[in-house]
Amino acid sequence: MAEKPREIIKRNLFSENQVLRAILGICSSLAVTNTMRNSLVMGLGLSVVTALSGLTLSAMRHAIPRRVRMLVQTLIIAVYVIFLDLFLQAFLPDISKQLGPYVGLIITNCIIMGRAEAYAQSNPPFPSMLDGLFAGLGYTMVLMMISLIREILGFGSVFGININFVGFETWTIMIMPPAAFFIIGTFIWVMSARVSRRAVDDK
Amino acid sequence: MKKGHIYTAVFMIILSAVLTFALALAYESFKPAIKGHKELAEQRAILYALDLDNGLTDDQVAVVTSDLIAEITLGEKMVPAHVKDDKVVAYAVPFTGSGLWGSILGYLGVTADLSETTGIVFTSQNETPGLGGRIEEEQFKGQFRGVPIGPDTELKYVKNGGEIDAVTGATQTSDAVLRMLNAALRQDVFGGEVQE
Repeated sequence: MAEKPREIIKRNLFSENQVLRAILGICSSLAVTNTMRNSLVMGLGLSVVTALSGLTLSAMRHAIPRRVRMLVQTLIIAVYVIFLDLFLQAFLPDISKQLGPYVGLIITNCIIMGRAEAYAQSNPPFPSMLDGLFAGLGYTMVLMMISLIREILGFGSVFGININFVGFETWTIMIMPPAAFFIIGTFIWVMSARVSRRAVDDK
Repeated sequence: MKKGHIYTAVFMIILSAVLTFALALAYESFKPAIKGHKELAEQRAILYALDLDNGLTDDQVAVVTSDLIAEITLGEKMVPAHVKDDKVVAYAVPFTGSGLWGSILGYLGVTADLSETTGIVFTSQNETPGLGGRIEEEQFKGQFRGVPIGPDTELKYVKNGGEIDAVTGATQTSDAVLRMLNAALRQDVFGGEVQE
């Protein structure tokens, strides 16, 4: 019953998107989506950590005692996040400065532990890494869509480049977290409606 | 496959030791690079506040810093200053204070005659990205070039009759910045009493 890589990718990007279907990672989806650059970097950082922690935890899944597995997961995830932070500081100081507190916040993202619990602990290393990577990219995709709407309406720009040629009055609420609530809510609604319609069609 | 208490304890101890060692190793080997970047960022920040950074490369920053920057006494403090032909052109006054989420650190450049600012730079801040964090953007910082100051002239936002535009949606951060700047001006530049 091994899942094909294609299926893992499709499932994580669409049918089981972590933000829209599992409703995980909502906190950061509200906080970092006011500009596209922030969303992209946060999403990529999360994808890397989820992939690597999935790989590691899956490789050592037979050695981990069940009763301390969450402890081990947290430990591994934290080590990767700190390593990523140090790596960025040493080799990509500009990106590190822009990210500031976000890198540390990756630890608290429930998608990483969610994938570790739901997938990596009972599947081989390579599929686990793929699963983690695409769970992260699915999250990135949703973040980018939300931040595109928020950045255009809130700042009149895309990736910091001003596109507001017509003097459109930008909406301050779009920069604030409440705006993401409405947008994510709408996305989840559309997604759920599609999934339930498909379920009816299948019967 | 049930594992005993001893296995669990030994597993955790070994795992923690290995991971801690790996992180310590990574930290030690990255440290020189990280320190180099920090020093460079600090030098560049000082040059920016003194209006000397017009798109310098990393190598130029080091050269300009050793040529033009010296530690000079201003009031009771030693501050970095722009010195040309043994005469001070401008001081980079360090300031610090609490923003909305954490401490904000930076430099405010003031001319040698203490009549106007030359620029502002933030070296450390944890304000909300996209809101208060925008104090780092040129649109905000650029307004602090050549603003008149004096013992009785405080920096003010447009809404209070000044020249500087606050950051939209980030009133707390904007107010905090001017509060710490005015405190630094009173205390370190004009040597007056600090009012709280």
